[in-house]
Amino acid sequence: MSPGDLKSLNKPVAVLVVVVALGAALVWYTHQQVLVARATLDRAQSALRDATLRLQRSGDEKEVIERYLGTYQALGRAGFVGDEQRINWVEALRQANQQAELFGVEYQIAAQQPYPYAADVNPGGLTLHQSVMKLNFRLLHEGDLARFIDALARQRAGLFTVNQCVLQRAGTATAIRYQPNLRAECDLAWITARPAAPEKKP
Amino acid sequence: MADKLLLSISAAQVTAARWRGGRFATSEVFANSDEGFAQFTDYLAALAGVTAYVMVDAVEEDYRFETLPHAFGRDRAELVARKLKQLFRNTPFACATQQGRDPGKRRDDRYLFVALTNPELVQRWLAAIAGRGLPVAGVYLLPMVGEPLLARLPAKGPNVLMVSLHGPGLRLVFFRDRHLRISRLARLDTAATPGLQNLAEEVTNTRLYLHALRILTLDEHLQVVIVDRKDELGGLAETIARDNPNLECLRLTRADIIRDVGITAPALDSSSDALYLHLLGSRAPSGNLAPSSVTAGFRAHQLRRGAYAMSGVAAAVLLAWAGANALQAASLGSDAQDAERRTAQQQAAYAQVTQHFPAAPTSAENLRRAVEVYDRLAQSARTPDAAMALVSRALENHPAVVLKTLGWRYGRADIQADASRAGAAPADAGRAGTPAPRHESALIEGEIRPFRGDYRAAIDSINAFAQSLRQSPGVAEVRVAALPLNINPATPLAGNTTVETRDRPVSAEFKLIVVMRPPA
Repeated sequence: MSPGDLKSLNKPVAVLVVVVALGAALVWYTHQQVLVARATLDRAQSALRDATLRLQRSGDEKEVIERYLGTYQALGRAGFVGDEQRINWVEALRQANQQAELFGVEYQIAAQQPYPYAADVNPGGLTLHQSVMKLNFRLLHEGDLARFIDALARQRAGLFTVNQCVLQRAGTATAIRYQPNLRAECDLAWITARPAAPEKKP
Repeated sequence: MADKLLLSISAAQVTAARWRGGRFATSEVFANSDEGFAQFTDYLAALAGVTAYVMVDAVEEDYRFETLPHAFGRDRAELVARKLKQLFRNTPFACATQQGRDPGKRRDDRYLFVALTNPELVQRWLAAIAGRGLPVAGVYLLPMVGEPLLARLPAKGPNVLMVSLHGPGLRLVFFRDRHLRISRLARLDTAATPGLQNLAEEVTNTRLYLHALRILTLDEHLQVVIVDRKDELGGLAETIARDNPNLECLRLTRADIIRDVGITAPALDSSSDALYLHLLGSRAPSGNLAPSSVTAGFRAHQLRRGAYAMSGVAAAVLLAWAGANALQAASLGSDAQDAERRTAQQQAAYAQVTQHFPAAPTSAENLRRAVEVYDRLAQSARTPDAAMALVSRALENHPAVVLKTLGWRYGRADIQADASRAGAAPADAGRAGTPAPRHESALIEGEIRPFRGDYRAAIDSINAFAQSLRQSPGVAEVRVAALPLNINPATPLAGNTTVETRDRPVSAEFKLIVVMRPPA
């Protein structure tokens, strides 16, 4: 073909390139629209399923509320649900010390932090927190430790678990009555629960 | 369908016909002279965007039937090109058409080589067309163009001689096995109407000619088909049959042509070449005499048309695709809106229902979960009581063991050997992987009393104490964390035997770690 013939191909080839490019861009754009619309539909259908299920279970929900509301409120008063009740804890320590006839309890309460074993109890929509309380006290004999822990639990100032205790001989050589023979160091975790996303009353 | 310019060039005249919308439209005849050429140039000036197809009806033609070794692709093209150059040295207007395979053992390819031996006949006219910028699709000989007519004839035998009367003379075209084999143009005296006897003699001569060329023996059956477009050769078949009793003569009348070929009567009457120009417009022959220099413009034209066609197809496909996407997106959007509307209805119904629920500080799920979590935490809580009881029972059987420190821990990790040191507490939360279950572990720090330097006996006592612990129910493992004498060969050991006396006793301290089984 002559140069003139080749030159005459420029325009149709350019038209072809432009048409393909514009068409491809249009297809790409509309495909993105499809993806966005599909994602929107998925979200809407998921919300519809949730709303439908929630409505279907509204009867069960009422039954659950009636069944658990009293216990839940009692747990709130007991200091498990809601904010920490540190004053109650300290008061409970004082009472337990007296009831176990100890020689006084030193305590340190650390800052509140997420409860590390929350996954073990499957809290669902609740968030669990703990405040670790370090106790330092002296005992007449090892049985006082159990009596102290029982007395503290009976105060119902909240839910706690004992993480660690160390008992050591006090090093007193003389056997004097009512002389503390053991020194104890314990770590307690006071656990509180709170709904993660507080919901309005249904 | 694209418009075409159909040309029939003969020594006497040039017929130009227009092909529009798949039909024969108009035709004009120009004398093959300077005056006619000038008129033709003027005729071309009014044309644009049409492709020219050129047919030549002249005596300066040559047909060679050859066999070549069977080949493919470039090898075949080179073989054919070489043969063309060898056969027709003096003209660029030549081509070859394959006509099947030879029945012999070698199965060679059979070709008909065709040439226009007088290129000057067409060059001036082609130059005029090229000068006007019209693409030339090809140059063909009239017998090549007439080959499709054979399929519409009643003659079905292997040897057919087609006879037709044209301006330049009587055209006799021989077909073998439905393929063009050879053709001759018998000039007639144009001053007088040719007599049927003369025409019949030309048929007889042609038969002898075929025999002389060893194409067809006189004994072989031959069908003669007379294409009588003007119904003027009514008695020719009988005349031929009288002279050649072994010939079978058929006549294609004007009505047959109009009916079978599809040409209109006015178009058929417009010129002596009209029938063949109609066939050329309907379908161009496969062979093409024009050299590539003549058809270069047509190839460029085809590429341009192809590019535009591809643009159109691409635009249609892509638009359809995009349209389908848009419709799908609209449908999905409509479905989403419907789902949102129904969700709102469900939520409204739920709100209506829950108006009668008891007042609660949180959701029903949270109420239930809080109670269950509290129960689980309370049930999973542990105290040192079990570990202390375990150690007490073991100590009863080992009076030489004196307990100094008892540590206890409830967590994922065991208690550390230095747990009695202030602030020593292992952090076991937040480890990677599946966390170990929480379990109890105890640290026992004690010493052997009395001890007067007999480390072997002291270590035996410690091991016995550890063994007692191991045998207790609920114990998973007992590890010796420290012995009075470090007998590990990997660590250095130093001491002084002079101090091992009754007056100056040394201590035999040890540490044990007891790991309890996790709760089931």
